[in-house]
Amino acid sequence: MIYGDRNTGILVQGATGKQGEFHIGLMNAYAKQVGGIGVVAGVTPGKGGQQVHGVPVYNTVKAAMKDHDIGAAVIFVPAGAAADAIMEEANAGITTIVCITEHIPVQDTMKAIAYARIEGASVIGPNCPGLLSPGEVKMGIMPSGLFSRGNVGVISRSGTLTYEVVDELTRAGIGQSTVVGIGGDPVIGQTFVDVLEQFGNDPQTKAVVLIGEVGGNLEEEGAKSTDLPIVSYIAGVSAPPDKRMGHAGAIVEGGEGDARSKITRLKKHGVPVASRVSEIPDMVRDLFRCRC
Amino acid sequence: MKLREYEAKSILKSAGIPVPAGFLIRSADELTPRLGELGTAFVLKAQVDVGGRGKAGGILMADKATGTKVAEELFAKQIKGLPVKEILAEQKLDIHHEYYLSITVDRSSKQPLILFTDAGGVEIEITAKEHPELIRKLVANPLMRDLPPFMIRELIGTAPKEIGPIINKLYLVFIGKDAILAEINPLVTTPDGVFAADAKIIVDDNALGRQGITVNRDLSDREREAEKHGFSYVELDGKIGVIGNGAGLTMATLDLIEYYGGKAANFLDVGGGAESERVMHAVRLVASVPSVKVIVVNLLGGITKCDEVAKGIIAAGISQKVIVRLAGTNEAEGRKLLSEKGYEMLDTMDLVVKKAVEVTA
Repeated sequence: MIYGDRNTGILVQGATGKQGEFHIGLMNAYAKQVGGIGVVAGVTPGKGGQQVHGVPVYNTVKAAMKDHDIGAAVIFVPAGAAADAIMEEANAGITTIVCITEHIPVQDTMKAIAYARIEGASVIGPNCPGLLSPGEVKMGIMPSGLFSRGNVGVISRSGTLTYEVVDELTRAGIGQSTVVGIGGDPVIGQTFVDVLEQFGNDPQTKAVVLIGEVGGNLEEEGAKSTDLPIVSYIAGVSAPPDKRMGHAGAIVEGGEGDARSKITRLKKHGVPVASRVSEIPDMVRDLFRCRC
Repeated sequence: MKLREYEAKSILKSAGIPVPAGFLIRSADELTPRLGELGTAFVLKAQVDVGGRGKAGGILMADKATGTKVAEELFAKQIKGLPVKEILAEQKLDIHHEYYLSITVDRSSKQPLILFTDAGGVEIEITAKEHPELIRKLVANPLMRDLPPFMIRELIGTAPKEIGPIINKLYLVFIGKDAILAEINPLVTTPDGVFAADAKIIVDDNALGRQGITVNRDLSDREREAEKHGFSYVELDGKIGVIGNGAGLTMATLDLIEYYGGKAANFLDVGGGAESERVMHAVRLVASVPSVKVIVVNLLGGITKCDEVAKGIIAAGISQKVIVRLAGTNEAEGRKLLSEKGYEMLDTMDLVVKKAVEVTA
């Protein structure tokens, strides 16, 4: 596992909101299932003293840190407050910060990530589903029922497409070490390079599925940065140029970042690229076969 | 959202960056009484949201005698299919040299990226391909209010020193206006000083509200309608309507349609946490496009609850065939609701897409 394990205490920022409350319930149900700690504290300014699913709510992150051992935070606050939440957590000393919130202005994200870097925190997201290490810990909103424990890492810019891939892997009997949704925005904290570095140091992870999409060239940068065997899938082969495909970061701009040229560059680098999600399990099996 | 040239220039002017004297006209008649304001020779520039406007005939030279006639001619034109509704009339500059200056968001460094080159006036993509060594690049720490002078010195190199303050002013515009692109191309030197001869600003769609922009002009009417309901929508030209949750899964669904030889009519991502009412609006919106023969709904629950989705599909009550694939949070409840109402549910995304392609073949 990377970024945390079953012994990681989690703080949820935006605990009393609809999504925060719903997912505290699911995260703690998962923690109970795997014998982990789960969410130990919530933060919503002005709602200190309340409880959500039995989890105490605090006004500030620092107040929560005084009472609990917290290793990671998950953010569900609205877009206008999310960058501030990232900085508050980084300042309080939380080292893994998962930001689920989408539609954060990119200037705010750039500032928050630059600040978190100074404070020594890793930001996953924003606009991401978080991460899940099967049998260990869930930080975010991934539907845990689809996952199974194993030695394949998954990194993705998408949420639901990740679940699709995980579902295919699990059905094929291929378990996952950690699945990380890095987010669909143009600027994100942990990129493919960063997560691949973590996977490189993780004895459990033997291969990685890298799920990218149109926009930028972070997939290629990632593939070049690691020695781990990789299978890739790139969404958006049929995406028209200059149109934002749902994610703020999913756009072919100035003729850059289209799916076909990404796929060509990945293949040139020796990375097999699936043309359909359902092909991924067989391609992962092939990776292991070659390495036997 | 892309700002038009005159809007971008008005922002630059307020920020203290010199722009050519000029004014906006919405008809040739508006020009006639002001013909004397811009000197003997001036430029008429169509304000249309397309690249390569000059080559497409959107920029015309005029003078006092011909001004009204040239303006009429330009208003009658279509530039790359777009009608000319506004023209920027501008003083003609005596250009010595053209430079290029832009600030964008750099995904790799997660910081603003400033580009400067002595070879201005041409598209930066072309310079980047043919003469990458001519482009000087620096990333700025977004926590600093101003660019440090050393960065500006490195960027301008041997270019005139008057350009230095303009780079910092453009950086302040980039930050202050929530831009994802602020570009001056060309930035020109003249006997009267340095001017931003053309300007482009794209505002972050996620910051339109706090920038006081209420309508995103880049979207079509249907895309805007979709946005009101909280989903992203892109119109395409096939027969298979697509509704997915999550941008990646929806894109992958479109790609799979192409893989099986079909054509998608749209991209519609209902987003996370879709309530039944939003799903209903999504289904109705996709169904309202006359060319849509069948709708593929491909949803995996994460932050989205499948039972909410099922209620939405049922409530839409549309005439086209809907083929559904649902999995994830509250999946069993969603499945039950749909099967009670007789909706076709298949287990995998390959199956629903194959089926939809068959129906439209």
